[in-house]
Amino acid sequence: MDLSVIVPLYNERENVNPLYSAIVNAVAPLGVDYEILFVDDGSADGTFETASAIAAKDHRLRVIRFRRNYGQTAAMAAGIDHAGGRTLVTMDGDLQNDPADISQFMQKIGEGYDLVVGWRYERQDKLITRKIPSKIANWLIGKVTGISIKDNGCSLKAFRGDLIKNIPLYSEMHRFIPAMTSIAGARLIEIKVRHHARKHGTSKYGLSRIYKVLLDLLVIKTIVSFAAQPLLWFSLLALPAAAISIATLFFSFYEVLTRSSTFSVTIAGVGVLFGALTFNLLLSGIVSELVYKTGNANLDKLSFLTLEKLQPRSKVQ
Amino acid sequence: MMVDPSSPLPENNQTIINVAVIVPVSERYDEVHELYDAYKKALQSSGFNYEFTYVLDGDFPDVLGKLKKLQADGEPLRILRLGRWFGEATALTAGFENSRGNMILTLPAYYQVEPPELSKLLKEMHNHDMVIGRRFPRTDSRLNRLQTRLFNGMLNFITGTSFHDLGCGVRAFKRQITEEIPVYGDQHRFLPVLAGRQGYRVKEIDLAQSPRDKFTRIYQPGVYPRRLLDMLTVFFLVKFTKKPLRFFGLIGIATFSVGALIVLYLVAERLFFGSALADRPALLLSSLLVVLGVQIFALGLVGEIIIFTHAKDMKEYTIDRTIN
Repeated sequence: MDLSVIVPLYNERENVNPLYSAIVNAVAPLGVDYEILFVDDGSADGTFETASAIAAKDHRLRVIRFRRNYGQTAAMAAGIDHAGGRTLVTMDGDLQNDPADISQFMQKIGEGYDLVVGWRYERQDKLITRKIPSKIANWLIGKVTGISIKDNGCSLKAFRGDLIKNIPLYSEMHRFIPAMTSIAGARLIEIKVRHHARKHGTSKYGLSRIYKVLLDLLVIKTIVSFAAQPLLWFSLLALPAAAISIATLFFSFYEVLTRSSTFSVTIAGVGVLFGALTFNLLLSGIVSELVYKTGNANLDKLSFLTLEKLQPRSKVQ
Repeated sequence: MMVDPSSPLPENNQTIINVAVIVPVSERYDEVHELYDAYKKALQSSGFNYEFTYVLDGDFPDVLGKLKKLQADGEPLRILRLGRWFGEATALTAGFENSRGNMILTLPAYYQVEPPELSKLLKEMHNHDMVIGRRFPRTDSRLNRLQTRLFNGMLNFITGTSFHDLGCGVRAFKRQITEEIPVYGDQHRFLPVLAGRQGYRVKEIDLAQSPRDKFTRIYQPGVYPRRLLDMLTVFFLVKFTKKPLRFFGLIGIATFSVGALIVLYLVAERLFFGSALADRPALLLSSLLVVLGVQIFALGLVGEIIIFTHAKDMKEYTIDRTIN
């Protein structure tokens, strides 16, 4: 199979039918062997019934229903796990993405990119609650992960199947897929896509997630840059503590030497505390090394997924 | 654990077993034959096919003798005996793994509820995935009732559920649930919470408490802190499994901020009002808070690395149905 289109759906009953026809209309002219996966993330409004009615007529539509609502990342992960296509395309179920863009994505994958990310350059959302926070978030994500992308929040993406199937996707990591794939050295490109205003239903997220995103960002940094050498990461974190410790200890020694009568126990105590912290952080780093060694996040294997083999043509066939 | 070799399992019996009845036997048990008959009567009236599995949690020669007698009389009964006392969770797991039937019914080895009430429970299984008993109306002491209320109240508060009596040993559920949700330690108590979280339909129904359950149970003092720890574990499992940093981060940042604010205040005092900094114990306290905060936060990061390196083993979703 050439193409799997994955769409997570959560309470999108009114959008199911138009979405299905839009995808079919966009994909059928490409002349590829395709499937559509609708992942119903525990909807309560009859999304599943509507989708299965279509699936009864069209065997290329597969519907996966979760037992309860697990969130968008889990829905994407389920779609990716079940997809059989060489190229995987993910998109939102709210018709804000335009399936007509899929052909562009397929073309870029054909050119040898591992990951194609959509950029909603004319975004049809509220400025204050959606566009500005997302601008800041994208800038931060770019700074922290080193993968500068204008629109991390755009669900319309295309992947090489075997690559994305090996990227661990959990909790709310769908926002950081480009950064995660960069662990594997994925070649990625960003293309402009159309973006429509919501017709049916209401938007499912808002402003109240700054704390989560900030922490996730730190997690991503930990994973992307240091998963394979956690001790280094924790050593970096321990540096300020070590600096404070050394400075305060020196200061108290200096005091003892110059004005031997007024030895400051408090300052020395602070130094000792931060010294202990330094050690604790280093030990945490060692524990993390142990965890990484015993875990199964085989980052080496991931890097080989993007390995290009340019071998001399052998004489004996 | 051993499956008692002298017990001929009715494998040749081709009737389909609907309900595997698991009875864990530990220190507390009532007269075996009488209770068995009472349970049997209730099950027969429910119309389900059933098979009993008694799990002896350690050595109970008198119970074993009586059960063997029942077996010899041709009752559909399996006996499992654990090598030593392992606790109720292990006994139950052994029972789950060595029984047949796509529905499981666990029953206590003593009169906890009135046996005829069981048919109410089984009836509800037609449209639920798990039905658990609640001892109501209660006949036991005020002290025990208060304990139940406190325990369940706390649990409901932290997990956002609304159960009244998770201590009741009478539970019926689909076998699928035990296969999907691994429970260890004392967590079997929280199975309804975890099952509900996985999207199963869980219902609690009132079962009249047996008058024979009427005495004041006093637990060892060690039981209470253990329950609290279990509760903390479940809280963590329910809320933050895949996001340890959100949990540790919150505590860490709070501790760090309190410490940092005190340090700032002390430094400001030193700079602008000239009060000495070096001999103030408050400086030590605030530094300790800062250090602790960073340490807690770092633990959260270690947790995140654990999750990441095991992410491929963990499925975050459960699928109800697939079409095509």
